Amino acid sequence: MRFARRTMMALVATTALTSAAFAADPIKIGLSGPFTGGSASMGVSMRDGVRLAVDEINKAGGVLGRPLLLVERDDEAKNDVGVQVAQELINKEQVVATMGYINTGVALASQRFYQEAEIPVINNVATGTAITKQFPENNYIFRMSANDVIQSGMIAEEAVKKRGFKAPAILADSTNYGQLGQKDLEAALAAMGIKPVAEEKFNIGDTDMTSQLLRAKAANADVILTYAIGPELAQIANGMGKLGWHLPMIGSWTLSMSTFIDNAGANGEGAVMPQTFIQSPTTPKRKAFIDAYQAAYKVDRIPSPISAAQGYDGTLLLAAAIKQAGSTDGAKIKAALENLNTKVEGVVTIYDHPFTATDHESITANIPVFGMVKNGRVVAENPADLEGANAVRVKAH
Amino acid sequence: MFDVQTLIQLVVSGISVGMIYGVVAFGYQLTFATSSTLNFGQGEALMLGSLAGYTIMTQLAAHLGLPMPLAYALMLPFVLIFGMLQGAIVERLGVRQAIKTKSEAGWIMATIALGIIFKNLAENIWGRDTFPFPSPLPEEAIQVMGIRILPMEVLIVCGAIALMAAVELFNRRSIYGKAVVATSADIGAAGLMGVNTAQVITLSYALSSLTAAFAGVLVGPVTLTGASLGSALGLKAFAVAIIGGLNSGMGVVVGGVLLGITDRLTGYYISSGYQDVPGLVMLLLVLSFKPSGLFGKAKIKKV
Amino acid sequence: MRSTVLKAAFVALLLAAPFLIASPYYIHLLATIAIFAIVALGLDVVFGYTGEVSVGHSALFGIGAYTAAMLNFHFGIGFLWALPAGMIVAAGFGALLALPALRVTGPYLAMVTLAFGTIIAILINELVPLTNGPLGIKLTRPLFFDWRPYADMLPFLKMPLPRMREAQFYFATIIALLFTLLVISRVLASRYGRAFEALRDSPIASDCMGVSVYKHKVLAFVTSAAFAGLAGVLFAYSEQYVAPNNISFDQSVTFLLAVTMGGRKSRVGPIMGAAIVVYLPNLLADIEQFRVAAAVIAVLAVVIGAIRLARGAGDRLAALVPVLLCVAFFALSQVMTTITDFKLTIYGLMILFVVYYLPDGIYGFLRNLVGKFRPEWVRPPINIDGLGRAEDAWAAAVPRSAPDQPLLAASQIVMQFGGLKALDRVDLNVMPGTVHGLIGPNGSGKSTTMNVLTGIYTPTSGSVSFDGHDITGRQPAEIAGAGIARTFQNVQLFGELTCLENIMVGLHHTYAASMAEVGLGLPGARREEQSALSRAASLLRFVGLEALANEEARNLPYGKQRVLEIARALALDPKLLLLDEPAAGLTAPDIVELMDIIRKIRAHGITMILIEHHMDVVMGVCDTVTVLDFGQKIAEGKPAEVQEDERVISAYLGTTTEIV
Repeated sequence: MRFARRTMMALVATTALTSAAFAADPIKIGLSGPFTGGSASMGVSMRDGVRLAVDEINKAGGVLGRPLLLVERDDEAKNDVGVQVAQELINKEQVVATMGYINTGVALASQRFYQEAEIPVINNVATGTAITKQFPENNYIFRMSANDVIQSGMIAEEAVKKRGFKAPAILADSTNYGQLGQKDLEAALAAMGIKPVAEEKFNIGDTDMTSQLLRAKAANADVILTYAIGPELAQIANGMGKLGWHLPMIGSWTLSMSTFIDNAGANGEGAVMPQTFIQSPTTPKRKAFIDAYQAAYKVDRIPSPISAAQGYDGTLLLAAAIKQAGSTDGAKIKAALENLNTKVEGVVTIYDHPFTATDHESITANIPVFGMVKNGRVVAENPADLEGANAVRVKAH
Repeated sequence: MFDVQTLIQLVVSGISVGMIYGVVAFGYQLTFATSSTLNFGQGEALMLGSLAGYTIMTQLAAHLGLPMPLAYALMLPFVLIFGMLQGAIVERLGVRQAIKTKSEAGWIMATIALGIIFKNLAENIWGRDTFPFPSPLPEEAIQVMGIRILPMEVLIVCGAIALMAAVELFNRRSIYGKAVVATSADIGAAGLMGVNTAQVITLSYALSSLTAAFAGVLVGPVTLTGASLGSALGLKAFAVAIIGGLNSGMGVVVGGVLLGITDRLTGYYISSGYQDVPGLVMLLLVLSFKPSGLFGKAKIKKV
Repeated sequence: MRSTVLKAAFVALLLAAPFLIASPYYIHLLATIAIFAIVALGLDVVFGYTGEVSVGHSALFGIGAYTAAMLNFHFGIGFLWALPAGMIVAAGFGALLALPALRVTGPYLAMVTLAFGTIIAILINELVPLTNGPLGIKLTRPLFFDWRPYADMLPFLKMPLPRMREAQFYFATIIALLFTLLVISRVLASRYGRAFEALRDSPIASDCMGVSVYKHKVLAFVTSAAFAGLAGVLFAYSEQYVAPNNISFDQSVTFLLAVTMGGRKSRVGPIMGAAIVVYLPNLLADIEQFRVAAAVIAVLAVVIGAIRLARGAGDRLAALVPVLLCVAFFALSQVMTTITDFKLTIYGLMILFVVYYLPDGIYGFLRNLVGKFRPEWVRPPINIDGLGRAEDAWAAAVPRSAPDQPLLAASQIVMQFGGLKALDRVDLNVMPGTVHGLIGPNGSGKSTTMNVLTGIYTPTSGSVSFDGHDITGRQPAEIAGAGIARTFQNVQLFGELTCLENIMVGLHHTYAASMAEVGLGLPGARREEQSALSRAASLLRFVGLEALANEEARNLPYGKQRVLEIARALALDPKLLLLDEPAAGLTAPDIVELMDIIRKIRAHGITMILIEHHMDVVMGVCDTVTVLDFGQKIAEGKPAEVQEDERVISAYLGTTTEIV
């Protein structure tokens, strides 16, 4: 018995050594996201989108002749776990750059370690406005998603200008995402001379929204504006159903999460949200991406299409930057990102000088369109938004 | 701000959720009476019952083409059996050894450990997200004098009372029930009288998980279901069991309803974040001043 | 001598670590282990010694962390002030937690800690202006002193800034850990440690020996909380971030696992346990490492199982099961490709395994193993040769009370339980310097009387006065302090303590040093301990048990246990000694010795009340005898008179009935 075990251990050691010898020294890229918990559908989609891009890049020979190696860590959407993950990726795994974050709070808590270590962070999904503003000098943080200033502006515009609502109630979760987003929303509404009639808060994991909805009802709200994630958003929709009090839901992009759509069922129909990407093969690139995703992961509907698309695009940009920098040095990669010479065709848009030294946002307000939940999927609220010349909108410089 | 209708609405909603607490607390009481132990993973027993019920029900509906109400009814006996098996496993693995060695810390830690294991296994089988549990009754609320009540909430109250009544009847009428009562009163004497007390304890655990599993399928359609369903409910049910008194069947019903109403009122009038606090504070107060519970009987120490 | 060298070498190695290990990540890991070890050592006081399961220590830990964070966030107060602040605030919450926990034990107490932990987590999450709620608070690790300029002279000081920061903070945690070890060792070796064990083994005896269960429970919780708070402050600065998520039931369970898996009632055990639980997530993230670890465990299990079987362990099947489980675990690890999803299952299985097969933890298991070969390495015996003399068993002459006034006067005592009157208007007057017998058939209320006199029961009506003071309804610990000591019908010794230690619990009242003085190892505290030891040795010699001084009380033969109980009661320097059936179950020679002891006690002026069924004992030593039947006094007087009394005879034997 003991002999067999010793042999086993020797075998294991040999295999590890030889496999290391075969590979050309890979470029380690960290990947931090929630793969479990309420935000998991976003994290998993982002991860899958990134993996898709990494596979494509490696098949084409890698970057600088070396393959990209993803070091994936589950931050569980918890700020404290994100901090530990960041420290592990920086100090133990010694990654060259990190792709992340889904949750604004996790990003805000963890990014300072990368900034200190001068390692670039590509935020694929997190939308908190403060994320790219955390470090005004020599900023190492970049973003692929539409930030909350953009989204809250769009939400306010849709609710007030387009649909004429005058008494919005804001329902936001207690995380950094919900709270900071709520502030952006208040500012956007104030700019239009509107003040919310109710502002309600809830925790991740809460299942009963009756109290919050009753208070909004008592305040005679005419529309519900949301800043939360899938499971809780579903509870809001279902809560309204239980009370027999149906108001339209307009909110941040997370209303496109599969966990919202599936759990809200009929109660979620008609919810609208800003989207940078809707799962629809409107261009050859997008079709290729959707097909590849469906084939690789055996799904029909991508759980969070935006997370997947932005994750994919972020990887392409990072690879292009490393190639341009000609090295894995963090400062050089950062400089390359801020001055990208090559045009990169992504899923969301075509990137032409997406970043500069002072602007780390790849998405401007003209790119996202409004999506709507219809028959269990997200479609464009206004189909014309995705047709013809509108299919690809590029960053307004 | 003060609106009578809203108040009544909250009270009604509180009663239905309180009955769930009561049913789970009832399970605690069953095992504590016979063995002076209880299952710290009772919340997970409820969660497993809910998830197992979900799977059985959806499979029945899909493969036999049954309408949801029928699938739900057919699923119930299976879930009850599942609950009994799960309870027996907890007893065998977690509690039996500790009772033999009279180690209190032993069964406390063992039942906690089993709860953790069950939750993790459930997360791996059913995923970590919550998902909707098909409702056997129509989802539209009925209006009674301006108060909205879900048909499912009515079913919860009726089902909970029916189950507890059934178990009480079992205890009083059947011979097995009498064995349970005898073991609760004096385990040594019962053993000497020929009662197989080990079996009785196993039975009490099986019954305890049965009630939890049943509560799981009652509550599933009202909230969403998922692997994390159990945790908060388990603790609330503790509070109910303690407040009502671990030796009193009536106490858990009253305690449950009291707690449910307090939860709802706190959630609305103060803040939903503080919803759980009054119940826990009541628990601490009761343990500070009358550990045997509001309805329990204090035991006299004999030296 | 050997152990001091070992300890010094270990500490030196710990301090050298940051210069030997290049990666700041692993230094950080070591610092985290030290932090968890501090919590575990504190938790051992409550769990290992007092025997209570606490699943609320994550909250106490979090309170320490948040104290540090809030002081910094709101007032700009830094690390060094945060340390004592965190300890004090957490200790305060520990006292708060102890309040509802006072009257309950076991699962009820566990629930109290669970409720407490949940309430704290909710409060921290919701009180946003105070704690910043779910957004959490950021902290910056302090840099104590930049040593890089000295790298020319001492080349090992040359290192990049992040590694230096990590190293310095690591030193801070090691210093804190050493401090914790020192203080906790001292406290647990002192009367406090004995008191904690006493209240686990027999709360009733504890109270009756003047060691208030309430007070010491609070002390145990407060001590435990203070160290959890210290660890919390360190953790906050180590992670540089606190959030409400830091407080969770899972983390409380992790702390418990550290203590149980490592080994309770030891210093090494909690440290070992902390290392395991901190390193575990790393182990689980790396499937290769995990497989190696599973292989090692399986090998160990097989080896140990083989040794057991070779020595002829009783139940072969039962010994085989853990071996099979470990091997199955190894097989599973080979098959699985990813373990992180099952991290919590592994935790749960570890807890179950420990509960079943390693009740004393890994270190405890090793210690028991070593103890079979070299018992003196494990529990160094206290040598009492030349210490104490039988004559010195008495502290001082017992002050003689006025001989014509009763020392104890119980008047019209009624004790009612529900509908049952256990005592029905009983009067009892005990004159000083006498041995007063209390006899009667079973169930007549003798032990109930004793329980009323010692404060275990509060009489339904009536009063008790002792030495001129009214003691009706007072707490047992108070009554013990007033000068009444007792033994119990069912022996209530502190089973896991040695004979010497049992008596020293009775000597608790002779100490004046506070816990702080004990913790700091001040000479006054040490002197007290020495003199108590000497007195305890004297008492042991008085009852003839000096050869068994280092034997655990639960291992003693029954007769000797009863005698030990008397010695323990005498340690209280009582004016009145209550003996509850001391001769029960004794052999004839033992009874002769017992009567001798009783006479010696009386000769020294201590009054006694003696409950007995052995009539020869009663007749042999008692000056007065009171007879109870069905809770009422039916006779009183000299032994010879009472023996002839018709009512007494019929109470014991029943009345004769004419059969016509």
